[in-house]
Amino acid sequence: MSRRGDWVYENNGGTCVAIAGADYCVVAADTRLSTGYSIYTRDYSKICKLADKCVLASSGFQGDIKALQKNLSARHLIYQHQHNKQMSCPAMAQLLSNTLYYKRFFPYYAFNVLGGLDNEGKGCVFTYDAVGSYERVGYSSQGSGSTLIMPVLDNQLKSPSPLLLPAKDSVTPLSEMEAVDLVKDVFASATERDIYTGDKLEIVIINASGIQHEFMELRKD
Amino acid sequence: MKLDTSGLEAPAPILGGIDDLSVDFAAAQSFDLPGCADFDGFQKDAVQMVKPAKGTTTLAFIFKEGVIVAADSRASMGGYISSQSVKKIIEINPYMLGTMAGGAADCQFWHRNLGIKCRLHELANKRRISVTGASKLLANILYSYRGMGLSVGTMIAGWDEKGPGLYYVDSEGGRLKGTRFSVGSGSPYAYGVLDNGYRYDLSIEEAAELGRRAIYHATFRDGASGGVASVYFVGPNGWKKMSGDDVGELHYKYYPVTTTPVEQEMAEVPAA
Amino acid sequence: MECVFGLVGDGFALIVADTSAVNSILVHKSNEDKVMVLDSHKLLGASGEGGDRVQFTEYIQKNVHLYQFRNGIPLTTAAAANFTRGELATALRKNPYFVNILLAGYDKDIGPSLYFIDYIATLHKIDKGAFGYGSYFCLSMMDRHYHQGMTVEEAVDLADKCIMEIRSRLVVAPPNFVIKIVDKDGAREYAWRESIKDAGVAATA
Repeated sequence: MSRRGDWVYENNGGTCVAIAGADYCVVAADTRLSTGYSIYTRDYSKICKLADKCVLASSGFQGDIKALQKNLSARHLIYQHQHNKQMSCPAMAQLLSNTLYYKRFFPYYAFNVLGGLDNEGKGCVFTYDAVGSYERVGYSSQGSGSTLIMPVLDNQLKSPSPLLLPAKDSVTPLSEMEAVDLVKDVFASATERDIYTGDKLEIVIINASGIQHEFMELRKD
Repeated sequence: MKLDTSGLEAPAPILGGIDDLSVDFAAAQSFDLPGCADFDGFQKDAVQMVKPAKGTTTLAFIFKEGVIVAADSRASMGGYISSQSVKKIIEINPYMLGTMAGGAADCQFWHRNLGIKCRLHELANKRRISVTGASKLLANILYSYRGMGLSVGTMIAGWDEKGPGLYYVDSEGGRLKGTRFSVGSGSPYAYGVLDNGYRYDLSIEEAAELGRRAIYHATFRDGASGGVASVYFVGPNGWKKMSGDDVGELHYKYYPVTTTPVEQEMAEVPAA
Repeated sequence: MECVFGLVGDGFALIVADTSAVNSILVHKSNEDKVMVLDSHKLLGASGEGGDRVQFTEYIQKNVHLYQFRNGIPLTTAAAANFTRGELATALRKNPYFVNILLAGYDKDIGPSLYFIDYIATLHKIDKGAFGYGSYFCLSMMDRHYHQGMTVEEAVDLADKCIMEIRSRLVVAPPNFVIKIVDKDGAREYAWRESIKDAGVAATA
């Protein structure tokens, strides 16, 4: 391995959100890329389509994120050649976990949210830490604005914990339209208080009919 | 030092390389290390950056009927609660459970790895691995990574040919056999309740309640523990989840709100 | 805190160790046997970090056994001590084991002997020795009361004196101790000195 400088990371900011519904999944991220007080670009997509029903949104260090996305895409290509089918979202989730953990001692500085549909067509969201610990949840937020957004999502969407026994039904009680509106609202709010979030919001909606893209302008200051 | 990456090999050989990426997909996966001069310093800073879950309360104890395993469900990064629904009791196989304290990713990954190794042992030897054996497998792996910054404090609980088994294993390579353990930042609180209420001849229901109560009191005093108190029981027929209660609601179950009549109204203090 | 001490008597050697497994302020266990029976006529008392202690002493034990299987004769106590020192010295420049060791043994033609080996690979043959915080109390106690050719009763009595001193003067005194003896009849557990009972189950298998 080539010799690197002692410190090889940078925080490029950005916020990602994903919400799973009964038959859809909304994944969203802003498109600002910055470092410190300077903005590199106002139009950088943090969302990457990995499979037909699986998209990845990541924030953190752009270099690592790009490497991670390329790695996963390449592995998915090999998977398609070997199995002649698309990888399922839960399988991709485990692959991402392992990929992150294999760099346990030299981590990808990337905070990921994986969204998509599972084998039964239900929406699913997986949330990660930088070294690969992951959990399937109903909704999640990662990145610089996550501490502003997560409490609002908890307030609007919190459903009974899956650990409860006797188990309680835990489905996000929103329609697709309502979920998209909520995502727009939380990003508009996070933009007000987080300097690393803003410019434009990219929303990806995954449902039985495929993947739809949507954009919304955010504050640019 | 040689890193143990056995059991991590790609299941099938992959033909053809991709020139676009400098990653060799055909080679067996292994841990990438930074090429910097000061590994320890890098490691320390890198871990700080992605600071994993630290605060936890987990406990396990052996009694007449088997083993009780209980845990909270909170994950925190400094003062921020990153999750209230972490599954800290990991189901290794139908007869064995592991608990999670320390780094979430370290625990999750190596328990999954242990699960694979246990299954392979089962297929090779036509019988289930003992709790002693499984815990030693894990302890030896963790010991081979000592000094590299892994953070794991786990209990392996299960039922094997010799009956109930319980071991404490940590990333410093420690491995202790015992009947009663608690791990994590809330463990002193949990021990307080557990040691006090423990008897060998507890019934399953009583034992589950003791575990639940110990976790509840730990979450009450320890800020880094909270969420849901999960309780599992491992008996001769494998493990079974006994309960999962939101500790916020558990509080009002243990201490119902009673409205006390106001004895005296607040009055103005006469100016001195 | 950890206390391991030992002494040589008339035709026997004795090792005493506390039995607490500690993690910062927590006592995880108070019946952890830290004196390993290395082979039929050797005892190995060790103190140090949990992982290193178990891994290193098991490694030494397995290698001593391997020698015996290959050559048909056991290592002498002196040879085992030198082997142990050598392994510690090799490890010292790579990834040191943080273990301190008292090795007691009985050889037919030599009689009983006791060796002191610390984690930086110091090897010394001694009559009496101690490790850990308990050593401050034990060493002076043994300097005062030890004499050549002690009987088992006298030696155990002295060990009990040391244990009592540790229990009464050391802030973080461990509650329980194990005493093991090696003589011409072999290495064996002699007695436990327990002030707290740990629920059921014997020491680590």
